[in-house]
Amino acid sequence: MIARTLCVFASLAVSLAAPVAAAQDDENVLDNVVVRNRLYAPGGKLEVSIGVGLPLQTHLTAHYVFNAGVAYNLFNTFAVEARAGYAASRHTGLARSISESFLNREDKRVTDELEDLWQMNLHGVAGVRWAPIYGKLSLLSDLPAHFQAYVWGGGGLGSFKRNSVIQCTQVVNRDLGICDNRTSVDDRGSATQDFWVNESRVAPVVSAAVGFRFFIRDTHGVRLELRDWVFRDNYRVNLMRDAWEAGQATGEPARSPGLTHLVQFDLGYTFSF
Amino acid sequence: MRPFLSLALLVATAPQAAPRVPAPAFALAQVQQVPAPGAETSVPPPSAPPQSLPEAPVEASSRPEPRVPAEAAEASAPPAGVRSSAAPAQGTGEVPAGEPPPVDDPSLAPAAEPAPTVETDSAPAATGVAGQEAPPVPDDAPVLASDDLAADAPRTTDARQQRLVNGAPLYNPNVSVHIVQKKRFADEGRHELTVYPATVQVNGKYTNHAGTAAHYTYHLQENFALQVMGQYNWYSNESAFNLELIDKVREQAQAASSLLLVWGAHAGVEVTPLYGKFAFLNNSLAQFSVVLSGGAGVGSTRHLIRPEVTNEVEGESFRVPARFGDTGTKFMGSVGGGFRLQFGESYALRVEVRDLIYTARVDRVDGCNLADFEALEAARSANQDFASLNLSGSCRYEKFDGVDPKTRKNYREDIILGRDLVAEPSSDVLNNVSFYAGFSVLF
Repeated sequence: MIARTLCVFASLAVSLAAPVAAAQDDENVLDNVVVRNRLYAPGGKLEVSIGVGLPLQTHLTAHYVFNAGVAYNLFNTFAVEARAGYAASRHTGLARSISESFLNREDKRVTDELEDLWQMNLHGVAGVRWAPIYGKLSLLSDLPAHFQAYVWGGGGLGSFKRNSVIQCTQVVNRDLGICDNRTSVDDRGSATQDFWVNESRVAPVVSAAVGFRFFIRDTHGVRLELRDWVFRDNYRVNLMRDAWEAGQATGEPARSPGLTHLVQFDLGYTFSF
Repeated sequence: MRPFLSLALLVATAPQAAPRVPAPAFALAQVQQVPAPGAETSVPPPSAPPQSLPEAPVEASSRPEPRVPAEAAEASAPPAGVRSSAAPAQGTGEVPAGEPPPVDDPSLAPAAEPAPTVETDSAPAATGVAGQEAPPVPDDAPVLASDDLAADAPRTTDARQQRLVNGAPLYNPNVSVHIVQKKRFADEGRHELTVYPATVQVNGKYTNHAGTAAHYTYHLQENFALQVMGQYNWYSNESAFNLELIDKVREQAQAASSLLLVWGAHAGVEVTPLYGKFAFLNNSLAQFSVVLSGGAGVGSTRHLIRPEVTNEVEGESFRVPARFGDTGTKFMGSVGGGFRLQFGESYALRVEVRDLIYTARVDRVDGCNLADFEALEAARSANQDFASLNLSGSCRYEKFDGVDPKTRKNYREDIILGRDLVAEPSSDVLNNVSFYAGFSVLF
């Protein structure tokens, strides 16, 4: 037992000592050559891309964005790009929990709508991409990965919908927090219609991103980026419970509704012609 | 089973040791010539017509010395295919070690000169042909990667195109450097002191944190380091989202989910599995490392008892600041990753994201448990003195007694709020993901 353990430890010591010694040898050959020529030059090329965006953080809504884009690289460092896509969105469990409990909260008869409840669906944006940084990583010692780091900015239009978690126009079961036509009280999925106040609109959207594009040969690339979709919020304040439960419009628009940010981690693939 | 493990370990050891031996595979990896296609925008403005290369003085140098451009070589009469002699002995990698042996021309290469003087082989011959004194050539004189590229050479033989930028021929599309570059700065055995002036929480659903951190790292090896880190959050409060829920729908996060981190200290390790380099706008060069870290430690927590309120007393309004209750020291783990951008030998910038993970169970506030709060509340109703109560030893009941002379706020009114926090003991594992930006000094 002890002998075997010693053997294992001896092997470990050898394995650790080898790279250490190698590193010591390498100390003498550190040199000043730190760059090679740009291997990939996207300038003048057209490229198409697809991507999926996942939410970094969810409060009351969650978005999963699917995008396709086309870009033209005017220079190696500058491109114009158009993107369009669809965001699959939903209410989070927290929003559902609030909606169910608030139906029975009789002590709150005047309130404001919650912020940041708009859900983005179809959207299209156009923007510019500036990639001032070109570099490479050493992967597994022998495999270089060339990349560009970029910032992206642009704007466009998006379609939005908003389902209230406060205003239920037809309370089915106040104690259980039911505001839809479900056939079984325990089965939310059996509902074909709900009675929450909903709205929709088309509004301007601004998008900004920072990211990396890793080149794979001349034509392929993998894109990792952090993207923020920004649009103006819009909700009503001073809502009267009696009015909304009677199906009447109530309240007034908030004067300073602020902006809604949807921050996504985007993973994409690009193909350059 | 154990012999198999030992055998597997030895097998795993072999590849690591291999690079120390000049193994053919490694050499091949080093010599792989990649004729870079070149980037139009990376080449400076169109050069003047090809000119003969100025002769380079024979001079020992540790930097990569220029090699002879094709025209110059042809003018000096070496036939096609004649190439520079062996590579510099160390490091530059401009000429791979595994290429076919060069055909040395005696007229070009002084016999007494060993391999390292490759780049200047043609200098004597060129001088002889010209019959004149050669103009001095700077260190960053033209470089030609290989005679195989002689046919394409004219577009890169201009000295301006091949001038070195930060020590390397950035504008030369024909340069073939070996794939694995040497790191410019060695970390092994060095100490690194980092200050993060600002750390900002980026996943604040129910909480917001901002603070300052300091970080000491000792680099045991080039890619492995030990680290100690301390952080103080000068701002920690519940998020606007949580306050909105309280205000509009009478809901709030569980006490454990909205626990605030006041300070934390942890120790751990840091590895740098990847390193790289980049050029900013094709001009400024920088080296960076991808750093991954992990550690464990402790952190002090608190919870909001009462947000900022306005106290109305005898027609006078006083603004009462938010009140927090101590919820104890918790075990804390840390994982993170980011970039370290090194400037020179002694300075670096760090941009990292770290996740501070701490377990949160809120069953005491300011040392008082539910039974203590019940007793305090009963005593408050009866207007009794708290000192005579039979409370747990850790309960700091003084914090819930008395009246603030400035705001005239009666602290006894906060007892019910404290009791609400522990009435339903809650537990959670919190992830406090923060963005760290700081600078380092290495010594």
